[in-house]
Amino acid sequence: MNAVVEPLMATESKPKMSIRDVHVRYGDVHAVKGINLDLYSDKVTALIGPSGCGKSTLLRCLNRMNDTISDCEVRGQIYLDGKDVYASDIDVVQLRARVGMVFQKPNPFPKSIYDNVAYGPRIHGLATDRDALDEIVEASLEKAGLWHEVKDRLDHLGTALSGGQQQRLCIARAIAVNPEVILMDEPCSSLDPIATAKVEALIDELSGRYAIVIVTHSMQQAARVSQKTVFFHLGEMIEYGDTTQIFTAPQQEQTRDYITGRIG
Amino acid sequence: MTNATIFVVIALLGLFAFVAVRQRSVALVSGATDQLHSLPRYHGYYAAVVVSLPSLLVLLLWVTTGKLIVENLILSGLPQETVAANAERIDLLINRIRLVAENGSAIETDETILSAATRFNSLYQQGVAATLALAVGIAAAGYFYATNKVGRKFRARARYEQVLLVLLAVSSFVAIGITIGIVASLIFESLRFFQQVPIAEFVFGLKWSPQTALRVDQIAAEGSFGAVPLFAGTFLISFVAMCVAGPIGLLSAIYLTQYAGPALRGFAKPLLEILAGIPTVVYGFFAALTVAPMLRNHGAVFGLDVASESALAAGLVMGIMIIPFVSSLSDDAITAVPDSMKQGSLALGATPAETIARVIIPAALPGIISSFLLAISRAVGETMIVVMAAGMRPNLTANPLEAVTTVTVQIVALLTGDQEFNSAKTLSAFALGLALFLTTLVFNIFALRLVRRYRQVYE
Repeated sequence: MNAVVEPLMATESKPKMSIRDVHVRYGDVHAVKGINLDLYSDKVTALIGPSGCGKSTLLRCLNRMNDTISDCEVRGQIYLDGKDVYASDIDVVQLRARVGMVFQKPNPFPKSIYDNVAYGPRIHGLATDRDALDEIVEASLEKAGLWHEVKDRLDHLGTALSGGQQQRLCIARAIAVNPEVILMDEPCSSLDPIATAKVEALIDELSGRYAIVIVTHSMQQAARVSQKTVFFHLGEMIEYGDTTQIFTAPQQEQTRDYITGRIG
Repeated sequence: MTNATIFVVIALLGLFAFVAVRQRSVALVSGATDQLHSLPRYHGYYAAVVVSLPSLLVLLLWVTTGKLIVENLILSGLPQETVAANAERIDLLINRIRLVAENGSAIETDETILSAATRFNSLYQQGVAATLALAVGIAAAGYFYATNKVGRKFRARARYEQVLLVLLAVSSFVAIGITIGIVASLIFESLRFFQQVPIAEFVFGLKWSPQTALRVDQIAAEGSFGAVPLFAGTFLISFVAMCVAGPIGLLSAIYLTQYAGPALRGFAKPLLEILAGIPTVVYGFFAALTVAPMLRNHGAVFGLDVASESALAAGLVMGIMIIPFVSSLSDDAITAVPDSMKQGSLALGATPAETIARVIIPAALPGIISSFLLAISRAVGETMIVVMAAGMRPNLTANPLEAVTTVTVQIVALLTGDQEFNSAKTLSAFALGLALFLTTLVFNIFALRLVRRYRQVYE
C-alpha cells in the first residue's frame, strides 16, 4: 500500500525519496526541525551547512542508521518510492540493502578486498554460485574505478590499501548490493586532494544511475558534484534549489553568508 | 639491644639530617631561598639520603649474614672432640646451640653446648653493638659530607633525583631477580631429580606411583615416575572447564557488549567479575560437597556410575571460576573493534547477528583466542578445587565420570607431611612444578603474542 506523496515542486520528475516534516531529537537536543525535501534518482543532492546543523543526522535517517543510537527519536515521514521507511512493517535490513551508505572515515572490514566487496552479496544471497559472485565483485570494483588497481591482489587485506583506495573500496562494497540510493557522509574528509579528486570523479560517474545524497563541508565539492543543494542551519532547512542557482544567486542572506565564508 | 633499635636510630639520624641541613641551607642565604639552586627541602632530602642509606646497607648486611658469621666463630671455638663426635650432623649441633641461646637451657645438659650458647649470645650482642657503632659512624661521616656540600650552586635536587632513580631501578631488579631465582631453583632441583629418574620415563611414562624406600633397609615399591597420567588428568579437567567457561564467557561477552543496555552492562559486568574474587577454596568445597554428590545421584538415575570425586565435578566448578577470565578479556577484545566496522556492516543490510558473526568476531578473534589461552593456563595451574574435588589416584582415562588426579594435586601430596628431601619422591615435585610452569608459560606466550599482533591492527 503506497501513499501518494505530492512532489514539492510540480515541475520535477517523480522523487525517489521524499522527506516530510521530519524532526529528530537526541534526548533534549532538537537536532533536525521539520525538514521537507525530495531526492531524485538521476541527481546528486548535496547537503551543506555548518557543523552541528543536523545534515548528517538527517542523512542517517534515510537508511535508519539512527536506530542504533538509543536516545534518538525520529518524527515525520520518509518515503522511499512512496513507502514510509519508518512504517512498522518495513524490514530495516531490506531498506539498508536498497539505501547504501558510505562513511566519513573509510571502514573496510579486516578481510580481503574480494571478501569486502562480496560481503553484501553473500549475506543477501545475490549470487547463486562462485562465478556469479566473481562477476558482481568485478563489476562493482569496475564501477568504483578500482578494478585495474587491485585486480591482481584481490586476496590482499582491504585495510592495507591507501586511504583513497579504501574509500573507493567502500563505495564498491555499497554498489555490490545494487542499491537504489547511496548516502555519503563527508566521504572525502579524510582523504588527500588527489584521492578526493578521484572520489569526486567517481561520484560524477555514478550520478544518473543512483540517487546520491552527499554531506560535505567543502563548498567547491558541492558545486562540482551535485545538481541539487540544500543549505541547513541549526537544524532547519534554509534554502533548497539547483546547485548553480544556490551558488550564483542564493535567495537567503544566511546562505549567501555561508557560501562566501562569512559564517560557519 | 636489637636490630630494630639500630633501624630506629638510623631513621632518627636521617630525620635529624633532613631538618638540620634544610635549616643550614636557609641560614646560608639568610632566608633568601631564591639564591639557592635547589629548594631548601631538596638539600634536606639529599642529606637524609646520604646519612641513612649507607647505614641501612650496613644494617642489611648484618641482618642477613650476622648469625652465620657468629655460628662459624662458635664452631671454630668448639673443642676438637665435640666437633669430631658430631661430624656427620654438624648442622644439628649448631641448632642445639642456637636453641639454647635463644630459648634458654631448660632441657639441655651438655656443658659444651651450654657454654657455646653463652658465647653465641655474647658474640651476637657484640656484633649488634659493632653494627650500631659502624652505622652511626657512617651516618656521621655522611652528615658532615652533606653539610659541607650545602651551597648556593649545589644541585641537591638533581642529586636527589639520581638517588631515587637508583632506588627505583633496584626495586625492579629485585622483583626480576627473585623470579629468576625461583625458576632457577626449580630447574636445579629438577636436574637432581632427573639424575635419579631418566627424563624419558618422566615425560613418556604411563605409570605414576612415587612410593620409594625412605631408608636403604626399607622394603618398598620401586616407584615409577611417569607424568603422563597426571598431565592427562590436568588436561581432562581443564577441557571440561573450558567447555563451560568458553561458550558461557564468550556468549556473555557478546551479549554484554552488543545487546545489553548501559544500565544492565554497568550492573552485570562487575557482578561477573566478582566470580573471580571468590576464594578458590570456596569453589573447592562447593565442588566436593554440592556438585559431586549431585552428579553422582543424577548419574545413578541414568544408570551412569559417576565416581564421587569425578573429573566432571572438578571441571564444571573450575569452569565457573574461569568464566570471568574469558568474558572480561573477550569483552575487551570485542569492545576494541572499531564501531565503524559494525556500522559499515549494518549499513549494507546485515542483521546484528550477521554483523557479529562475520565482522566483529573475526576482527576480535586474536583477542578472544588469547583470552581462552589465558583461561586454560589458569585452569592448568589451579590447585585448591582439584585438591578438594578431584581424586588422588593417577588414572589415565578420557572418561570425565571417573576420578582423575592432576599435577597440582600430586605436588601437594608429595610435599605434605614428613619428607626426606633428597628422595626422588620429593624431588619429583620440582620436576612436576617445572613441567607445569613450562606448560602455562607456552600458553601465556602464545596469548600475549596474539594480543600484541592484534593491537597493531587498530592502533
